[in-house]
Amino acid sequence: MLKSVEVVLLGTSVVAPQDVQVLQVMTILGGAPLVSGFVSHVEGRLQGRRGPRILQPYYDLAKLFRKETVVTEESSWVFLAGPVVAFGCYLIVPLLIPVLTTYGLPLGYMGDILGGAFILALAGFAVALAATESGAPYAQLGGSRAMTFGALIEPTILFVVFAVALITRTDLPYALAATVRSSSSEMVRPGHVLAGFAFFLVVLVDTGRIPVETHSGTLEFGMIDEARTLEHSGAPLALLKWGSAMKQLILYTILINVFVAPWGLAASGRPGSVVLAIPSLLGKAMVLGCVFAVIDNLFSKLRLFKITEFIAAAFLLAVLAVLVFYAGGG
Amino acid sequence: MSPAPSTYAGVADVVAVLVLLTEFAMLRAPLLRSQVRLYAFQSLVVTVLAVVIAATRHIDELYVLAVLSFVLKVVLVPGLVLRLLRDADVDLAGSSVLGVPSMIMIAIGVSAFGIFTVGSLHVHSNALPTTALAVAAAVVLVAFVLIILRADVVSQAIGFFSLENGVSVASLVVAAGLPLVVEVAFLFDLLVAVVVFGVIMRVHHGRSQTLSTEDLDRLKG
Amino acid sequence: MSAILVVLIVMPFVVAVATFFLPVGVSRFLTVACGAATFGLALALIPTAATHSQITAGGQLRADALSVVFLVATTFLYGATAIFAGGYLDLADGAAGARYGRRFYAGLNLFCWSMVAAPLVNGLALLWVAVEITTVVSALLVAIDDTDGATEASWKYVLIASLGLGIALLATIIMYYAGTTVFGSAYDLSYTKLLSGAGRFPPDVVRLSFVLAVLGFGTKMGLVPVHTWLPDAHSEAPTPVSALLSGALLAVSFYAILRYFQIAVRALGPTYPRNVLLIFGLASLLLAALYLLSQRDLKRLLAYSSVEHMGILAIGMSFGAPIAVVGVLLHVLAHAAAKGTAFFGAGSVVRKFATKDMTKIRGGIGALPWSGPMLVAAILALSAMPPFGIFRSEFLIVEGGLSDSRDTITAVLVILVSVAFFGLSWYTTQTMLTPDVTASSSDGTAAVTPARSEVSNWIVVAMALGLVALVILGVHPPAPLSQLLNHAASELGSPR
Repeated sequence: MLKSVEVVLLGTSVVAPQDVQVLQVMTILGGAPLVSGFVSHVEGRLQGRRGPRILQPYYDLAKLFRKETVVTEESSWVFLAGPVVAFGCYLIVPLLIPVLTTYGLPLGYMGDILGGAFILALAGFAVALAATESGAPYAQLGGSRAMTFGALIEPTILFVVFAVALITRTDLPYALAATVRSSSSEMVRPGHVLAGFAFFLVVLVDTGRIPVETHSGTLEFGMIDEARTLEHSGAPLALLKWGSAMKQLILYTILINVFVAPWGLAASGRPGSVVLAIPSLLGKAMVLGCVFAVIDNLFSKLRLFKITEFIAAAFLLAVLAVLVFYAGGG
Repeated sequence: MSPAPSTYAGVADVVAVLVLLTEFAMLRAPLLRSQVRLYAFQSLVVTVLAVVIAATRHIDELYVLAVLSFVLKVVLVPGLVLRLLRDADVDLAGSSVLGVPSMIMIAIGVSAFGIFTVGSLHVHSNALPTTALAVAAAVVLVAFVLIILRADVVSQAIGFFSLENGVSVASLVVAAGLPLVVEVAFLFDLLVAVVVFGVIMRVHHGRSQTLSTEDLDRLKG
Repeated sequence: MSAILVVLIVMPFVVAVATFFLPVGVSRFLTVACGAATFGLALALIPTAATHSQITAGGQLRADALSVVFLVATTFLYGATAIFAGGYLDLADGAAGARYGRRFYAGLNLFCWSMVAAPLVNGLALLWVAVEITTVVSALLVAIDDTDGATEASWKYVLIASLGLGIALLATIIMYYAGTTVFGSAYDLSYTKLLSGAGRFPPDVVRLSFVLAVLGFGTKMGLVPVHTWLPDAHSEAPTPVSALLSGALLAVSFYAILRYFQIAVRALGPTYPRNVLLIFGLASLLLAALYLLSQRDLKRLLAYSSVEHMGILAIGMSFGAPIAVVGVLLHVLAHAAAKGTAFFGAGSVVRKFATKDMTKIRGGIGALPWSGPMLVAAILALSAMPPFGIFRSEFLIVEGGLSDSRDTITAVLVILVSVAFFGLSWYTTQTMLTPDVTASSSDGTAAVTPARSEVSNWIVVAMALGLVALVILGVHPPAPLSQLLNHAASELGSPR
């Protein structure tokens, strides 16, 4: 039924893999503010507010791009280059992960999961460097904290990758997604469940959500990621905000399309399925965003020094994923 | 790509891992009350595991065992300990020797040891996948970490009871067909042990007005 | 014969329940009667057990030569301790004293009941249950004095011993699994089955089970490094309980290990189980010998001596020669008698001097005309002096070690036993054989020798019985007993 609709609407020609790849980047680029806006909206509703409009992030970005850029006298070119580099990184990662398709795209083999993680880390580094360059204490604090917790969460990411690699014998994200799709047993194997949950916690840390960080309002002493952008303005700030929305959507995409629900992706290059994969991805990301919004409401922020406990829990899950795999159950 | 275990095995393994994760949560729980509740939850998970095996492997005796262990380990034992806590009017657990992250790292180390040791035995069981056995060994070892690093009588007692939960999981894996009379004897013994633990905890609290074990250092040498 | 097993398992339990309700004066005699009766029944089992392979009753009870050896040790101490307790208990007047007495006697009988049951039950699972009952009952007995020390000791004891038994439970379950590979998934863990099928058990699984069993039951037996509860519990418990803990409970735990040993030898061959026991035995002997050199507390001294002797037992089992195994079993009997007597004497001294601190005890022989010299004799017996039983048993163990050409280990054994002897005898001579100290010659805080009199004649009788048994074991063990020991040793040996 669906197939026939596709055929009627879009014909049977095939979209070239390169074009799909570009489309992946465009999806992340264009969809990220939408998902962010949706999550903030849901959050507002959960807290009994009306919440901002779903499209608000687009207006914010447009406004920021129109505003002038103010730079402190002490800063060097790094202050302005940071946001651009980070934004570039976020544009590269969607090339590597299964955003729209089940099959690997030409540039998808350019890097594995670790490669993607490195590029994301590079983006974080660029932003932190720019924050340090601003000379403002809170921005510097945010930058150094972000690097600290980034370093602490790194072993967890590594172990998640190990678990994935052990289960699939490769560390390509496409391969794990294909493995998960292959049978229902794959979904319930403990290695997968544990690694998936560990990655979920990693996403919580990396997107700066409760219980690690409050992402709405200004609470300078508890801020980590948010503090880094305090000194930026105008177009660089827009890039930073857009970038962090993209990072969020990228992490959501990995969690959804690699671990939790790799369904609804295009299995072939037919235009119909490729185009349908876009709303399917954004829809799944919004559902996931609702989960995060609920967590936001259920828990309170941890004290800064308790965050290590949270990270230890994520690490525990990831290590157990590997251990259980070796015990024979995977 | 390594072959996935069957869905049943996967679910059973996840439940076993849940028992282990609860053990880790106990390691962290700062309130004694929450520790007791975690124990009750862990016992519930073990009971569920027994029911799952009973249903899928058609071992009717396990239903009886599940009911008994539910009554004893989910209701009675936590109830007794909670009553003791209410009477003693103590909320916070004694400070542990190490911080939470270090404790977790140590516990991860010992569970790795347990999992690799048992995993290398290549035990085969009809009732449950052997991963569960390795996880059970890890539960036992983490219970030891809990007992050693926590310095209050309630945590130590709960550690012992949860160790027994780990052994229960192991017995479900390799000895699901163990004669019922023996299983019941084990449970009865646990009950007696709980009563004795309770008596001695009460005596200790009566004498020193604390549940901490830090002043239990008179006897040495 | 089956009837005897049933009576042995029923009578102490009934007496335990009865003593909880009867007045202490009656309980005192009832317990002595029950202890003596169980000992008599155990002796009556010797001739049958020495010649037959097993005696069973109703499937759940079973006795063979090995279990009768431990049964005799336990029941002897049961009777002797019952006599000793009659003189040792110094009950306050009124309701508090009566309550203490009722609890004490009920606990004592229940404790002895569980230790009598352990060698008689048929199967590893029931054995575990019996040993667990010994733990919980004796933990309450350790706590009964309600002092700070007793509370601390009982908490350590119940926690550590329960953990050990948790491991032992794991060992039981894993051994059950080993059995399922031969017998299918539903069978009882009876010895007959396990021993018959042990040759076909998967070796790795049996190996794990054996190590866990040694670790788990070894906790109760007081093997280093899992002995840590032992000195505390022995020193803080009421002395009759200390005597039972040391002489009988440790032996019962050793019995449990021997059952696993029996299966492991059949499944793995003798080398592996022997080496495991050797490691634990050497560690125990070494540590105990060193601790014996630096003790101030009389009861702790005896407790470490128990660790030492448990080490000797483990090392003795690691020698393959049958003569060493005979020595080990004789050692169990002799140690029960000697350690019981020594604790009785220590109890007498502690009551007399009102302290356990050996720096404050002087002139023991002068103050206690009978139990003083008998305590010295018991200590000499513990140090393996002739003509006492431990001399003979350790001699057999050493002979076994030499005939097995384990010369180095035998030499280490002899050296460490000598070190332990030095520690034990040094402190004993310091406290017992020193001249009397009168109040005028002391500065008030130092030791004062009380007036010359016995605490109670019951204590003297109990100690005398222990020494007589030691001399009998040392000079000339009766023929049926030797036959029993030989038979048990052959049961423990490998069929290959």
